[in-house]
Amino acid sequence: MAKKAAPSKRQLAMVFDLNKCLGCQTCTLACKTAWTTRAGMEHQWWNIVNTFPGRGTPRDVFSHGGGYTKKGEPIPGDFPSKRLWGEAWDFDYEGVFGSNRDEPIPLHPREHDGAAPQWGPNWDEDMGGGEYPNSYFFYLQQICMNCSEPACVEACPRESVYKREEDGIVLIDEERCHGYRFCAEACPYKRIYFNEQRNIAQKCISCFPRLEAGVAPACIRQCPGRVRHIDYLDNADGHIYKLVKKWKVALPLRPDFGVEPNVYYIPPTSPLAFKENGEFDDTGSRIPMDYLKEMFGPGVEQALATLEAEREKAAAGKKSELMDILISRNWNDLLGPFTVDPAQLQRQPVR
Amino acid sequence: MVLDPIAPADITTEKRYRERWSWDKVLWASHCIDCYPGNCQLRVYLKDGKVVREESAGTFQTIQEGVPDMNPMGCQKGVGWSRMLDSEERLLYPLKRDGERGSGRWKRITWDEAATEIADAIIDAVQEVGPESVMAPSGCNLGTWGAVGRGQFMRILGGLTTDLNAEMNDFSPGHYLTWGTFDPVSSIDDWFLSEMVFIWFQNPFYTRIPHIHYALEARYNGAEVVTVAPDASPSSIHSDYYVPVKVGSDAAFALGMAHVVIEEGLVNEKFVSEQTDLPLLVNPKTKRYLRQSEMEEGGAEDQFYAWDSKTNQPVLAPKGTLFWGEVTPALEGQWNIQTRAGSVQVTTVFAMMRARLKDYTPEKASEHCGVHPETIRTLARKIASKKTNFLCCLNNAGKHYHGDLIERSQILLLSLTGNWGRQGTGLRAWLSGLMDGWFTVLAKSKRGPEEISSILDMMEQMVGFIQSQDPTLTRTQLAIMQAKMPGQGQGTGFVPPVFWWYHHAGYKDAWRNRAWHDPSMAREFDDYFNEAVSKGWWQGFDLPRPEHPTRVIIESGGNFIRRTRGGGKMLLKHLFPGLKMVATLDVRMSGTAMYSDIVLPIAHQYEKLGFGIPSTHTMNLTFSDKAVDPPGEALNEWEAFGILAKKLEERAKARGVEPYKNALGGEHDIREAHSRYTANGLWTDTEAMFDEMIRDSALIGTLPPDASLEELRRKGYFRFQGLGISARAIAQATDPKPDETFVPFRNHVEKGEPYPTLSRRAQFLIEHEWFIEADEHLPRHKDSPAQGGNYPFQLTSGHNRWSIHSLNIANHVMQETHRGAPHMVMNNGDAERMGIADNEMVRVFNDMGEFQVAVKTSPSAAPGQVIVYNGFDAYQFPNWATANDAEPGMIKWLHLAGGYGHLQYWSTEWQPCAVMRGTRVGVQKLS
Repeated sequence: MAKKAAPSKRQLAMVFDLNKCLGCQTCTLACKTAWTTRAGMEHQWWNIVNTFPGRGTPRDVFSHGGGYTKKGEPIPGDFPSKRLWGEAWDFDYEGVFGSNRDEPIPLHPREHDGAAPQWGPNWDEDMGGGEYPNSYFFYLQQICMNCSEPACVEACPRESVYKREEDGIVLIDEERCHGYRFCAEACPYKRIYFNEQRNIAQKCISCFPRLEAGVAPACIRQCPGRVRHIDYLDNADGHIYKLVKKWKVALPLRPDFGVEPNVYYIPPTSPLAFKENGEFDDTGSRIPMDYLKEMFGPGVEQALATLEAEREKAAAGKKSELMDILISRNWNDLLGPFTVDPAQLQRQPVR
Repeated sequence: MVLDPIAPADITTEKRYRERWSWDKVLWASHCIDCYPGNCQLRVYLKDGKVVREESAGTFQTIQEGVPDMNPMGCQKGVGWSRMLDSEERLLYPLKRDGERGSGRWKRITWDEAATEIADAIIDAVQEVGPESVMAPSGCNLGTWGAVGRGQFMRILGGLTTDLNAEMNDFSPGHYLTWGTFDPVSSIDDWFLSEMVFIWFQNPFYTRIPHIHYALEARYNGAEVVTVAPDASPSSIHSDYYVPVKVGSDAAFALGMAHVVIEEGLVNEKFVSEQTDLPLLVNPKTKRYLRQSEMEEGGAEDQFYAWDSKTNQPVLAPKGTLFWGEVTPALEGQWNIQTRAGSVQVTTVFAMMRARLKDYTPEKASEHCGVHPETIRTLARKIASKKTNFLCCLNNAGKHYHGDLIERSQILLLSLTGNWGRQGTGLRAWLSGLMDGWFTVLAKSKRGPEEISSILDMMEQMVGFIQSQDPTLTRTQLAIMQAKMPGQGQGTGFVPPVFWWYHHAGYKDAWRNRAWHDPSMAREFDDYFNEAVSKGWWQGFDLPRPEHPTRVIIESGGNFIRRTRGGGKMLLKHLFPGLKMVATLDVRMSGTAMYSDIVLPIAHQYEKLGFGIPSTHTMNLTFSDKAVDPPGEALNEWEAFGILAKKLEERAKARGVEPYKNALGGEHDIREAHSRYTANGLWTDTEAMFDEMIRDSALIGTLPPDASLEELRRKGYFRFQGLGISARAIAQATDPKPDETFVPFRNHVEKGEPYPTLSRRAQFLIEHEWFIEADEHLPRHKDSPAQGGNYPFQLTSGHNRWSIHSLNIANHVMQETHRGAPHMVMNNGDAERMGIADNEMVRVFNDMGEFQVAVKTSPSAAPGQVIVYNGFDAYQFPNWATANDAEPGMIKWLHLAGGYGHLQYWSTEWQPCAVMRGTRVGVQKLS
């Protein structure tokens, strides 16, 4: 085992607003086209959005261990099998479109061994929990959390995983990596993939080349729901600080994992539930509060109450700093210091 | 183990990733084929002459102070578009069938060989049957070049093109009945200004990905969001209220709310009096307006009355304005009036409607729609006191058999509460138009402003002349009158497909089945059909006739085997055996391409110039540049149809084809097909054509005066400045402002401009004898008929999330974002009761047909409801049978009505459309 990561000088952080997420996977495709189309990376979705309650990516995502106990001891984790992640499926285009055949065959996905898939990166999309008409779900975006106590860093015996001093981004040195996957086992959010072809671990890089040029990450800059805020956590005038520290409406996911993640979530509100007789029930939450507490910690109740109170203020025509931040009338305000338009940059490829 | 020291700053991994984020060229991009209302602005990044990826541009400016800007627009399909350019479903070379249709046996041929076969088939068809035997089914992925290329080609040879709106069933008959147009559309940023947002007949979380943030930001701004749907759709999760209505019962819900608004005294009387026909006098016995012709000899048939409460007498309702001046029209009362035929008791439409609403107390409405009476009361009061927006891009109510009744009920509710024609309010459909140059170029004989100026002068003169005859006519009415002239409709030359489906595609069997219609259809379906035709209600265009069997299909811009309600099997069984040639032009191997005789490869987005379909949704014309050459032998549609036109000309000359006439007497000489196609060589270069389209639009006033292709390349998009000359756009009846969100119908509300209806008001009373016979002269609720037979489940649908129609659906990257195959959502309790596990295959069937599909269980689906999102291609299902195969594609007989006021066909407007929501099906475990 390597050493624990040293604290960075500054920490980059993000807030994802679950009340604006459409579950559309634009972030997912923005990331895919930017980074993970190469051989050995086809099955990798550094950014993925899943429906919760649900089983996530990989399947049963939060049940594979990793992270730290309250005492700071590493919790053993496993590396889920390929089937649980979802393979980049095969489709028999040639057979369907162009071969000699007597009966039409359907274009259906197949795993590499020919079996019908039983899971994939967004398999339980929109299924959710509860019972009709009181069903419920929300969308949860998952990327590398650039944790302040990154279990992956400590887990790597080759010290290939490191946390950058200048911005707290966690990266894998692919040259050092020997593909042991200890980092992936240690990550409680299961956000580290394995590249079989190159025998290395790979994960979200927070689009650091973009950040270094003042450009927001691909997933953030292209989110049509305007869900994602980014800034340094220590900027007291920035959205992240205000949402996390001042208004306390942005919460870490599964704080019990003990890794101090630097992605925060505005917890989900939901429509009024129905009483037995079909009337609206304005007591309590459609999404069970216990479930929300499990996901976002004990602060979730107060965060939801704050959101509701500030919304009422806005409805009454009063100014609300919190609502103004969440609305962000000027899109660039979501992007913190990373407002450069990449099309204005010259980045000639090295030949 | 001794490790090397780590020096992060120098690490090669970081260098490598930095180097990967590089490019040598950046161009504007948008996705103009198939996506509506889209108009997202992206940039495409190239390296070594190849597209490496695209990215949302984020360059839209703030329009109205305090309203969020439109950045960044895009969706997962858009930002992953580059994955489709060289994917497996892409077509690269012309192919000819080398086996049975659908067998998948192909041989590669040249464009010349393909064009020769198609041209000869067209000439054979023209000579044996007539030009009407060449049919182009409309589709929506026409894009910039498909629309003009196909249109020009079909016009030259005199073939028929089915009306786009009926093909897609995106028509809103209830809007048309009430407003005289179906398509008011406010800009997306206007949603932010609402205080109540209704998501109703819409699932914008799937279908309006780039736009729906405005509703959620309105929510943070204090608005309340309501989702009305049988299933807890993905759109309901961010709502304040989710209202689960029974499938197809929404009229009862709306009328229950209307009842509350009236009975609790919450009616906006000024709005109702000015904007609607509710104050007009009506004879409750005949259910017809009191007419001037009844009152005085020689009086007008379309001059109606109101009762002036000040002078206590009937007064003429002004035709040239909605405003009443000194008159205070009574909304309620009963009066005896002396007509030429004696004393007649009259009342108001409002009073008649109010009496009808007695059947829709919240308690009674609840019995129909399943919504708790208190919910109906609560929401009605909110609508009456808040700026309310029924948020739709097209009101999907029209996909229900009684969608017209639902829409009329929704509009009634909005009118009672004064909720259209001002910011933050309204109800919307879809709209194109605004980019008049798209079609004016085809009428030109030379480049330059001259001919446009003379077209505009001529139109002004005509307007002046007609208004001098009848000064009460509005510009909208004049534009619609023009659009109704034969062969008009923005140069589309559409024909309503209902007659084609009836005569040539096998639909009459389903439509004759009275059990699948509403019981109030008093006579046989054919009686109504024949009456409508024989009375001449459907004249003015080249009506598809039984004596013109279809011989040639040109499918460009659609995938009609997938899309047509009633299913591919219906077309394959009834239409295809008689076809001598099915030619499909597409970017990819579609389900229709699989059954075609010849398949032609088309250039994809980024491989040709284009602009997003122009509409008031975004108020922007968004540019997509040609970044790379198309691969293989793919061509853009203008070039492709040009090759076909050239070959048609060549073969016509060789075969000595004389000029011929279509059934309307229009003459066609295809020996000049290519010279006509290019306007004698004027339009061969798509860059020049594109530039001219923009300049023409600037002259007409929809684009900035300095607009050109060069300027568009600089800026990426233009904001529309005016509505232009198309009837649909003018009917928005609002003058766009540069610094305000766009809201249609402001001229009606603010200036009293009349509506293009018989009564010149938003019209709730439809006096047509068929409507009176069916008791639909006023809005009401009717249960959905058991289309498909008596089966326990109701099949509903909607656009899917993962593909624009079927365009992206077979792409392997997109497929990994769901289960990679079609699925049917079913309530988990229903599935459990039937022993069906998640992801298990089932057979879904009714008297119409059947298909097989994997079940996805969810507590979000209502018990008794099954949902198959559309867009999956036939070849993704076992036996290539889709959910459409179980949908009979019924039309409502009343929509054949004509000969009454505004009930007359014009392009994309009044006509029957095949419905499918609520089709009854049975579900059976396969194993």
